[in-house]
Amino acid sequence: MKRFSWDELMNRYPALFAILLLVVALIINFILQPNMFARDTLNSNMRVFLPMILLAAGQAIVILGGGIDISVGGIVSIVNTILATQVGLNGSPEKMWTYVFVSLGAGILAGAINGFFIAFLRLQPIITTYATSFLYVGFALFILPNPGGGIPAAIANVYRNTTPLGLPLAFYVIAVVLLIWMYVRSTRFGNYLYAVGGNAEAAYETAVPVTWVLFSTYVVSGFMAALAGIAITMLSGSGNAEIGVPMTLTSITAVVIGGTALSGGVGGVAGPVVGAITLGIIQNIISFSRIDTWWETFVKATIIVVALAAPGIINLLRRKKV
Amino acid sequence: MSVSLSARNIVKRYGGVVALSDGNLDVKSGEVVALIGANGSGKSTMSKVINGVVVLDGGQLLLDDKPVRFSSPQAARKMGIATVFQELSLVAKMTVADNIWLTREPLKPNGMIDRKVMREQTEALLDLFSGTFKADLRPETIVSDLHPDEKQIVEILKAISLNPRILILDEATASLDSRQVERLFELVRRWKEEGKAIVFVSHRMEEIFRIADRYSVLRNGKTVGQGDIKEITEKDLIQLMTEKEKVFQFTKAIASEETSGLDQQVYLEVENLTTETLRGISLKVKQGELLGIGGLQGQGQRDLLLALFGDIPYHGTVRIKGEVVRFKHPRQAMDKKLALVPGDRAREGLLYIRSILENFLLPSWRKYGFPLKMKLAKRDAMAISERLSLVMSGLMAPVSSLSGGNAQKVVIGKWLLRDPDCYLLDDPTKGVDVNTKAEFYALLTDLSRQGKSILFYSSDDDELIGLCDRVIVLHDGKIRAELKGASLTKENLIAASMGVSNGGEA
Repeated sequence: MKRFSWDELMNRYPALFAILLLVVALIINFILQPNMFARDTLNSNMRVFLPMILLAAGQAIVILGGGIDISVGGIVSIVNTILATQVGLNGSPEKMWTYVFVSLGAGILAGAINGFFIAFLRLQPIITTYATSFLYVGFALFILPNPGGGIPAAIANVYRNTTPLGLPLAFYVIAVVLLIWMYVRSTRFGNYLYAVGGNAEAAYETAVPVTWVLFSTYVVSGFMAALAGIAITMLSGSGNAEIGVPMTLTSITAVVIGGTALSGGVGGVAGPVVGAITLGIIQNIISFSRIDTWWETFVKATIIVVALAAPGIINLLRRKKV
Repeated sequence: MSVSLSARNIVKRYGGVVALSDGNLDVKSGEVVALIGANGSGKSTMSKVINGVVVLDGGQLLLDDKPVRFSSPQAARKMGIATVFQELSLVAKMTVADNIWLTREPLKPNGMIDRKVMREQTEALLDLFSGTFKADLRPETIVSDLHPDEKQIVEILKAISLNPRILILDEATASLDSRQVERLFELVRRWKEEGKAIVFVSHRMEEIFRIADRYSVLRNGKTVGQGDIKEITEKDLIQLMTEKEKVFQFTKAIASEETSGLDQQVYLEVENLTTETLRGISLKVKQGELLGIGGLQGQGQRDLLLALFGDIPYHGTVRIKGEVVRFKHPRQAMDKKLALVPGDRAREGLLYIRSILENFLLPSWRKYGFPLKMKLAKRDAMAISERLSLVMSGLMAPVSSLSGGNAQKVVIGKWLLRDPDCYLLDDPTKGVDVNTKAEFYALLTDLSRQGKSILFYSSDDDELIGLCDRVIVLHDGKIRAELKGASLTKENLIAASMGVSNGGEA
């Protein structure tokens, strides 16, 4: 009896579009790079993708709650510059641990600042985080005006080369992120998140603590951005205050193609994670096909437009048919 | 669990607008108090004060004779006050069960929501209304897939799932069909016996007299009368609400043979119209005829009007004055002099935050050329608003500043400016106060006297019987009965609505 409905499918399986896209991208990548599933290649790919995966997961939480966080790139930059200047190329593992925790604290603090303005003072998310993004990148530049510094190669290699049971470290991190999400999704907080993102006024009238839910999404996003900053620092081994800047829009793209609606309340975290992987593979494809790098922006832009337009196009086709 | 609540001299301002200047209400265990008033009289504000959605600016709330102050809906809820909201408080993209139990989800020991228990509890609640809704209303249905009446039921269940001591029903019956209202009233009586106190906010007089024990009438933010419902007549009640004595009397458009002769041309002819919900509708509407469309909610009435207006695709033939038309876009229907007053005026009928002037002129900008002849446009808009006796602060005020009835006048007014030949009306008097209703009836009669054809869907059976000569009753996408003359009675209308087949000359 039930008719096929794109809306319904997307509602039930928000990651559908991202998975389709991932399959296509994987096939193209496989043709260009037949050894991509070899252990080393897989590991080198996944460790590159991981920072964006973490960032997209955090972004997804904010967007689910009906907001947006444009400052995540700035938080990545702050974390990167903290680690690069404070640990240094000759730092000890103990020092690294200390500043990993400092970084996470910084991420939570930055997220809390966003959350305070947006949830408690009711400022617009897009404007607020746009403003704080400059604040955070500026702070990163204050810590490290010129690219330099870094963390010891031995520590970076732990991130780069650990492959427990033959699988890249990134797999385990992704698994943990998704498991935590699946748990959170089925708790009361998970329901609150969808309710606030779907209809904040109704949620308020139903006695959902809207302010705290909103606030927490930005704190989670700040925390995830800090994790992403730690990951990208261990990947590159060096410091650069501008490192996070281009990551913001990519994280939003990952969320959108992951089927999580920008309007909030629809989607999940798994889709955006798949979306981030897909975007990474597309970047691979572009670098392997030896075309100009500006194509990367073009392709990403095309994908985001198609992802946003797909439900509309399908509805239009259906309308014609009746 | 005896309980009592009194609101004394409540004051509430929104910016410069005084919504309530002296609101009073008393309700106690085992009684139903009807909170009555025209649109914009402060009824909704009053219920929002009681349930803590808005914070009052003055006056006193006494719960069990102790002063209370609710800073949030949570606070009121903790004290056992639950509300069925007029603007639904449901999250569209969540399931029925998620919506009902939001913030009170049954949890497993590990902190996860126990979906199985939640579903069972939801099913138990749905059983209260079993048999009055379609099978697609289930605990796991996404709310946005439901019909308005089903959403309303979910909203009612959500409130009652709190097991409140005081239940506020704010226009809870507006979207329900007669069978569902019947069931709700049975439940209300049961809740009353259980000792709940119930505040019933409604426009429907007949319902108020059926269910309420006492009344409290608001007019312009002031309580102007309170008392026992047995000691007041409908007429007196309406008089209290409206100041001026104005009880509407239905005047049939085509009063007698004098105008309803055979000479009248068929304006609109529909043959075998089929859409996703309609299953072969055929009908004819004469010039100057006011054809009523009845039936339970969601039987295809909306689709019928939308299809005729070119808003949704259809199969079948539509003829206007004998000429076959096939509208693919409302613009084409407008060019053939059709007009649609949609069911959801805030979303479909109006640009809510834009000015009254803009809304009036929206379908007719072309008429005013380029560059716009603003003076002429304003004069025309002013003339229409005077004709409709629109209550507004000025043409530049946003439509959102108007009360429900006045906003609906703007929807009709924007078409009057184009002078259409045919009006398609989707429940135009829903949520409209008595006074404005009477004005609408006069307007409809007037239009049909001028030879305009009108298709008039209404969820209010009395309206259909009072205004129309002929009523078609839709049931499950088909015309179940056509009632006219002597067969046009409330009994037949309801019987046909429910799908009972002996409802008339089908």
